[in-house]
Amino acid sequence: MSNERAKIQLVEAFRDGEIERRDFLRGALGLGMSVGTIGLVLSACGTEEKVAPPPPPATPTAPAPEPELGPIEGELHIYNWSDYIAEDTVKLFEEEFKVKVTYDTYESNEEMIAKLQLGGGGYDLVCPSGYAVTILVKLGLVDKLYKKHLPNLSNLAPIFAKTASDPDGAYTVPWQWGITGIAYRKDLIAAAPDSWAVFQDAANKGKVTMMDDMRDNLGAWLKFRGKSLNSVDPADLAAAKADAMLSKPVLKSYISAPVKGQLVTGDVWAAQLWNGDTMQAKAENANIEFAVPKEGAAIWCDAMMVPKGSKNPRAAHEFLNFILRPEVGAKISDFTGYGSPNAQATAKMATPVAYPSDEQMKSLEYQQDLAAGTAVWDRIWTEIKSG
Amino acid sequence: MTAVYLFLHLPLLVLVVFSFNDSKFVTWEGFTLRWYSRLWDRQDIVDSLWVSLQVGLASTAISALLGTLLALGLARHRFRGRTAVESLLYVPVATPEIVVGISLLLLFGSLRMQLGVDTPSIVAIVIAHVAFNISFVTIVVRARLEGMDRNLEEAAMTLGADEVTAFWKITVPQLWPGILSGALLAFTMSFDDYVITSLLTGPGTSTLPIVIYTMARKNIEPSVNAISTIILVGTAVLIWISDRLSRDKPLTSH
Amino acid sequence: MNLRLAWLRWSGRRPAVRAWALMSPGAAWLLLFFLLPLLFMFGSSLMPARLYGGVDLGFTVEHYKQFFEPVYLWILWRTVLYSLACTALCLLMGFPVAYVITRAGSWKNLLVFLVVLPFWTSFIVRTFAIMFLMRDTGVINTVLLATGLIDEPLALMPSGLAVMVGLVSGFLPFMVLPIYSSLEKLDPSLLEAAEVLGARPVARFTKIILPLSMPGIVAGSLLVFIPALGSYVTADLLGGGKSDMMGNLVQRQFTTAGNWPFGSASSFVMMAMVLCAVFVYLQQRDRAQAMGA
Repeated sequence: MSNERAKIQLVEAFRDGEIERRDFLRGALGLGMSVGTIGLVLSACGTEEKVAPPPPPATPTAPAPEPELGPIEGELHIYNWSDYIAEDTVKLFEEEFKVKVTYDTYESNEEMIAKLQLGGGGYDLVCPSGYAVTILVKLGLVDKLYKKHLPNLSNLAPIFAKTASDPDGAYTVPWQWGITGIAYRKDLIAAAPDSWAVFQDAANKGKVTMMDDMRDNLGAWLKFRGKSLNSVDPADLAAAKADAMLSKPVLKSYISAPVKGQLVTGDVWAAQLWNGDTMQAKAENANIEFAVPKEGAAIWCDAMMVPKGSKNPRAAHEFLNFILRPEVGAKISDFTGYGSPNAQATAKMATPVAYPSDEQMKSLEYQQDLAAGTAVWDRIWTEIKSG
Repeated sequence: MTAVYLFLHLPLLVLVVFSFNDSKFVTWEGFTLRWYSRLWDRQDIVDSLWVSLQVGLASTAISALLGTLLALGLARHRFRGRTAVESLLYVPVATPEIVVGISLLLLFGSLRMQLGVDTPSIVAIVIAHVAFNISFVTIVVRARLEGMDRNLEEAAMTLGADEVTAFWKITVPQLWPGILSGALLAFTMSFDDYVITSLLTGPGTSTLPIVIYTMARKNIEPSVNAISTIILVGTAVLIWISDRLSRDKPLTSH
Repeated sequence: MNLRLAWLRWSGRRPAVRAWALMSPGAAWLLLFFLLPLLFMFGSSLMPARLYGGVDLGFTVEHYKQFFEPVYLWILWRTVLYSLACTALCLLMGFPVAYVITRAGSWKNLLVFLVVLPFWTSFIVRTFAIMFLMRDTGVINTVLLATGLIDEPLALMPSGLAVMVGLVSGFLPFMVLPIYSSLEKLDPSLLEAAEVLGARPVARFTKIILPLSMPGIVAGSLLVFIPALGSYVTADLLGGGKSDMMGNLVQRQFTTAGNWPFGSASSFVMMAMVLCAVFVYLQQRDRAQAMGA
């Protein structure tokens, strides 16, 4: 019993930085902790160290002058979603700033977070979605931005300059924004869908799909009943689950963006999809349209952040400032089909995506981190998916 | 037999045909070579193929060697707990990939080897691939070894060949189909692994599956079909050449 | 040279030493880079989940308890059924292929390579190709409609059938290669002798071919069955994502659900089940060999 307490004290002392790694190891082995446990503690505390940086956050009394970043050195490592940047953006940046850029892609926020969390990476810029922004900040895996090096921030549209996940705009430079609504074939479906109910309509059986993601799927059904898509209220979630179960037999499949091909061929008449991807599909088949359900939908804004331990923060900031230039931002958004949070860039786009009006914003909602509620959501989602 | 080959290769045919399709998606819009010429602009795809080949060849060579030795040791020596050790061989086969990936990330993390910074991530990827490939090689070679005649080897040694010579001249040729099968499986798995690799890659070491899987989240561009076709044709040519070469000299090997 | 001779002479009298020397590099690699990290994961499956992934200190068996709730057991059961069906189909299709390859003379190597050739393209690209073949407006339906065999497109995909097609085409070489490598050592003269002695084809198969290829069949079945348990992309893309398999469950625990210990615990339950079966089989095999010897 006392041994247990000693172990816990030891771990706490190590976590709080009271003892050295070597002393911790010696003590831990002495107390008979298993190697696996020690490894876990070491890696867990590795993150912990990053969570609580030794100097307290800038005191409100006398804001120290913002420190300068050093010069550009070495390479710039960008980690982003696939197909999410104009083809020449990186090349133009490399030429102008004389820095080599490696551009790698990931498939999910969680994959990227896990890597940053466990010390993998070596990336200078990552591009999480809204709720993942919150997680990265909470876990202390990202650095605040040096606004001094980002004069082009003033180009941002006010509604995207500060988002729910980064209320002070201290950590993020917004990248692209979009809405998760309904893409449909106006020539195939009986009536243009204006409600999530289209996914429960037996007339569409086997011809409609929803996204294979619990946040998007249950979120839509929460909106359907007029609830917040961030709700963790058991009653709300039970209702959402009931709606999801009603729609399951109607759905052809749970599938995310790859549904585009099936929309183009007409295998699918309507699909829950992002607006930008809908536009990409529309380029191949003019019968494809996009609708935002009257009950409301998710709006999102992915953002660039600089991970802690970035070896080349100056280049990262220069890149962020570069993409905030109107002509660069316009090109990116014209390529992705999404909206640009950059007002100046939107003005320069070939096919600008209009900002939502205040009226529309009333029914649109940002996904936020569910924290402990995630487990409840996952349980419900598993029950839906495995039935 | 033919039906099985058809079953395996029909999807390949589709893949090849659509590398010439003039559409971003999967409706046939007419013949084009633009996805091939596009590979010049998609340097990331070409680079990742290169990384994949390096990782695949390195991890196959190492795991084929270590796996074969392991199989030999297991087959040639009965010891207490051998069954348990052999069952352990199936652990890597049975472990879900994500668990392997996260556990290795934990290992490298707790060793304070920051991937992509202190340790080149390509090394970490090869280490991981070998770790899950050894078992496959061992299991296949072990199946080959079972009931295999040791008399030849012993006869050779009685006739004065030392053990190493007997090993190379007798045992290895006898084992060869097993080693080849195991190595082919290993290369295949390494060349197509996404989950584990994606957790261990660092900047600039994306493999081909990583480029393709991350692309699949949005839409797989037909340039992927183009590079797949190039791989298929390249492999087929290599096989044809090696087949010709091995047919030209059957007399010398006997 | 002298060193080598000395080693040979010394180890020659100690077969155990030699066996361990052969095994140690591979075993060490597995221990260090597989079993040790896996031990970490096992430890973590007994610790409370930390929000956003990772674990907190403490000890708990709640994750194992959780797995034994009906919803998760149901997923496990379905996964086992699919994997068994996939293994049986692979065996039915793979055995004849392996057998023909061994008889193919100079075509042998070529045919072996043809079996693995598809696997040098990405799994996901092949899965998309299967989707293209099987969807409502796909090649199969188009051909059938054109020939007038059907009036309405068949709903081939998404379905359990499509999942099975995806799984079998994904795992077939894992069956063919081990069977091939164990059949390959079958001496054709043995069959001829049997034929001369009047053994019927069925007897030749059951008395000679089958027993000789048994190690390959078992290795192949395990190499198909076990990884099939962990597959997840196939069920998502070809099955419409409507019926989760263990692979989906585990994958999600490590990603969106952020519950690593539960993901580990579910994996370990599944692995324990598999390894027990393997252990029992290997024990039987060794006992049979000892009897035979």
